Amino acid sequence: MMRSGSRGPAGRGPRRPRRDRDQGLRKKRTCRFTEAGTIYIDYKDEKMLQRFVTEQGKVIPRRITGTSARYQRQLVLAIKRARHLALLPFVSDTIR
Amino acid sequence: MDKATHLYETTFIVNASLDDGQIDGVIGRVQETITKNGGTVTMLNKWGRKRLAYSIRKKTNGFYVTVEFDAPGNVPAALERVFHLDELILRHLVIKLSKNALKARAKAQAAAAAAAVEAQQVEAAKPVTPREPLFKESDDKN
Repeated sequence: MMRSGSRGPAGRGPRRPRRDRDQGLRKKRTCRFTEAGTIYIDYKDEKMLQRFVTEQGKVIPRRITGTSARYQRQLVLAIKRARHLALLPFVSDTIR
Repeated sequence: MDKATHLYETTFIVNASLDDGQIDGVIGRVQETITKNGGTVTMLNKWGRKRLAYSIRKKTNGFYVTVEFDAPGNVPAALERVFHLDELILRHLVIKLSKNALKARAKAQAAAAAAAVEAQQVEAAKPVTPREPLFKESDDKN
């Protein structure tokens, strides 16, 4: 029942059935933006955006962060804008 | 031409290897294009030199500037042209501020104004005893 996170080794292949998702046993994640009553997610707020991006620079899915759909959409737009302005990387690994 | 105007925001990156005078020149040109085309600059924010998350035209640093302006619809296009022609500008982004952005802005401004008023009142209430300045977070980020 209790799987350790939704991204197991079976990342590839057929889509996992829905029941495999964490079902309420894990700590409930909440949407930071809803809680804070955010109205607009600003692309200039680099530090905040960084929290929603992996070390490689990928957007973290909302199933992991708990962000609500509405804010995830805004967030993704903000991240894309920030990337365009070189505030966030498109990809970052290996080098260094 | 009296057309409806909108609030726009543009952020651009100027080549940071220039000296400050040249950078100001570039910013001046941007402001000029806005005003010449019937817009007004409402806010100008120079972030200063910053490291880029990835190199653009072999540069690793850039000078970031954000300009907010109220202008009719032809201005963004004119600005884009200027940005494209200007070799000293590495990157640019022009966006129309969304309803939510405007709302957030209004709220932040109201909060800031309220905080200012409060600060004044507090100061007026207790005039003596110099204290260390209170650093108040001005509400949330936006």
